[in-house]
Amino acid sequence: MASITAERSLREQFPRLLPHGESVDVGELERLRSRTRRFADEHVRPRAHEIDRRTGKDPSWFDWDLVRAGGEQGMLGFLIPKPAGGTGGLATQAAIVMEELCAACPGIALVFGAHALGVAPLLLGGPSQWDGVLAELVASERAEQPLLMACAITEPEAGTDLEDPDLLARARVTSHARRVPGGFRLSGTKRFISNGSVARWITILMPTDPARAAQTWTCFLLDTRSEGFAVARVEHKMGQRACPAAELTFDEVFVPDERVVSREGDGAAATMIVLACSRPPVGAIATGIARGAYERLLAWLEEDRAAKGLLERQHVQLALASMEEEIHLARQLYMDAATELDHAALGGITSNPAVRALGHVPAGVRRRAPMHGWLASDRARDATVALLHHTTSERAVTRSLALSSMAKAHGGDVAMRVTGAALELVGLRAGAVRAELEKLWRDAKLTQIYEGTNQLNRLEVYRGLCRSETLSCLPPLHPNRHETEGGRS
Amino acid sequence: MTVSTMAERTEIRAMALELAHRELAPRAAALDAGDADILAECWRLLAELGLDRVLLDEQHGGAGLGVADLLASIEELAVGDGGVAMSVLLCNAALATLTDEQLADVPAGARWALVPAVCGAEVTLSGGQLDGRVACALGAHGADGLVMLLDGPAPAALALDANATGLTLERDLEQMGMRAAPAASMELARVACAPARDGSGDSAAALNVEGAMALLRAGTAAIARGITRRAHELALEYAHERRQGGVTIIEHDAVSHMLSAMAVRLAFRPELVAIDPAGLVIDRPQALAAKIAATDAAVASTTDAVQVFGGTGYMVETGVEKLMRDAKYCQLFPEPNWVAHDELMRPARGRDL
Repeated sequence: MASITAERSLREQFPRLLPHGESVDVGELERLRSRTRRFADEHVRPRAHEIDRRTGKDPSWFDWDLVRAGGEQGMLGFLIPKPAGGTGGLATQAAIVMEELCAACPGIALVFGAHALGVAPLLLGGPSQWDGVLAELVASERAEQPLLMACAITEPEAGTDLEDPDLLARARVTSHARRVPGGFRLSGTKRFISNGSVARWITILMPTDPARAAQTWTCFLLDTRSEGFAVARVEHKMGQRACPAAELTFDEVFVPDERVVSREGDGAAATMIVLACSRPPVGAIATGIARGAYERLLAWLEEDRAAKGLLERQHVQLALASMEEEIHLARQLYMDAATELDHAALGGITSNPAVRALGHVPAGVRRRAPMHGWLASDRARDATVALLHHTTSERAVTRSLALSSMAKAHGGDVAMRVTGAALELVGLRAGAVRAELEKLWRDAKLTQIYEGTNQLNRLEVYRGLCRSETLSCLPPLHPNRHETEGGRS
Repeated sequence: MTVSTMAERTEIRAMALELAHRELAPRAAALDAGDADILAECWRLLAELGLDRVLLDEQHGGAGLGVADLLASIEELAVGDGGVAMSVLLCNAALATLTDEQLADVPAGARWALVPAVCGAEVTLSGGQLDGRVACALGAHGADGLVMLLDGPAPAALALDANATGLTLERDLEQMGMRAAPAASMELARVACAPARDGSGDSAAALNVEGAMALLRAGTAAIARGITRRAHELALEYAHERRQGGVTIIEHDAVSHMLSAMAVRLAFRPELVAIDPAGLVIDRPQALAAKIAATDAAVASTTDAVQVFGGTGYMVETGVEKLMRDAKYCQLFPEPNWVAHDELMRPARGRDL
């Protein structure tokens, strides 16, 4: 059973999607939602409980079969650009996928969500990234040997403050990417990295000068087979256990220049854009959790003998109505944020004629010199940033980030309220449904914490909407390339 | 029962708190993991101090103290581990319903549990035998004896042997909180039982059941307050240590106001509203009110505590998320709070809901 709002078509719910049909194919979104719901019903929901139990005992246990099954249904490629072989989605697609998966199991959903988060920074690298790791991800998925990605930001002494440009300047950053001939040597520790222990590639953010962390915050693409990389431990979490959260250590891990995503020092802006892109899906994760609790509760009330008579109680009716209301509003909020990002903030890049034209060039041609050489050059990276400035603005991204933060914070609170209320209605008496609701309640708490705490997110809303501030969330047009130890190759 | 002085009660509190910090808190993770040996060891320590039979008189190996002393003790124990405190509450409540003859057969250190058959439990009494089932009976798994509380038109408190023929106790593996009060799914098929109160007629039994339920509610409120205190302690300590944006996080309004809200919730003392000035009799409506208020406060404060810790609080090793799970079970026991609201309003509305 699904909630009424979940049953309505996307066209009915979100008419705003229609005027932008050129960049978003609503029919494609409908098909994506149907496909995801089918995958969730057939593969995710039946395994959710068992996986939660197993990973509760052994946090490092991981279900690769589910990843393979998800890969077959496009759960790994929805954020990968079409020229690289993916479906070319942005926040809207990611959000739709996340709600559907999370209504079944937020932990399993997070495996795919964390993968998408790992992919997201590569999108800012523009066409130079299409034929590298992104294409490898698609190829491995088609070969039914999917590779996963992760994104590593959080450190032992700094979490939320790494996700805000002002706080980043004063954060206790202990990681360091040291320039050496041909690339960088990465050192330090990253914590709570979703998919960190199972990822083949990790997008990782570190400063090249710890004394100037905000100015030198840089995104790297790291091969987890590299010497010096280690998974120190896998955390034992309260919920969302199907997706392992790992502590990763980096001991002088070498990353070549060509695996610097975008440009050295662009990391802070990249983080802002990635968060603007990832927070609507977190709002969707929370909405999906709330919907999953609501649907299970309603089914129990309607079908279980132990619940006989409860639906006649006004208290129960009011509680259900309130849940429906909260879920509906949370969905509107995350879809509003996602469409804002896709259309007003970043949509112009994917629909830019030059980018589209480049997308029509056969991959085989792009991979050969001289085109490959140009795509990997500093000039191409500068051109990508210039395109970003041409198609959007810092104000548009700031506003988008604020709306995304609103959706994330509100959704997290809704997830906690709805799962808590559903659990209270069922109480300790029922068997299977109680365990499922308890799991969702445990899962829900994380949505108030990750992607920045709700408190930090509301401060983003204050700055971006209440005060109409504009954050520095685009990389500078003219990079401040500087020579450090070892020089640039 | 005797009326203890304030000094005696303070001493009991201090003893329980010392035990909580010294013995329970360091073992909370093992207790949460369901380690039966650790629970047995903790229970031995509790029994040595007489905390398993606070309300019984000396003739039955008890301390002969009052309800206020029991509530004070379990609040302190809950600072160390909510589940252990719940086990102590359930045992004291169960033993307090037994007859002298029944008590004589209870060996020292035995762990009993009171099982309220309310909220969807399907248990019937016929010809001195019990049939039916109870889901998630806290403290029932591994207990040496059980007292079943039957609600409804014919309330009764009934003692039964944990090994009685026809009784199946299956460990509730889904138990999310209060794991040191190990829960069981109970299946009863013609299980022999005995009325717990000697010579009680229906009205006396009704009093007994209602009194026991009031004790469970007031005790759950006390446990919730202990959990709330622990959450506040841990969050406050962490807020002084953790730095963000160049300052300790307590300097951020977002954190300090959460800590302030926790402190405000602690200003409420459930035992003060639930117990008469002599510390002997529980006011039943007030016990319901105390249970609702204290457990809602515990859920709010423990949730905030995890938020103060951020991602670290979500990890099992810090012990903060456990407080949240334990608090949630307080909200659901002996009945969910929305049902407790029904109970509270029953006299005013003049009918069963």
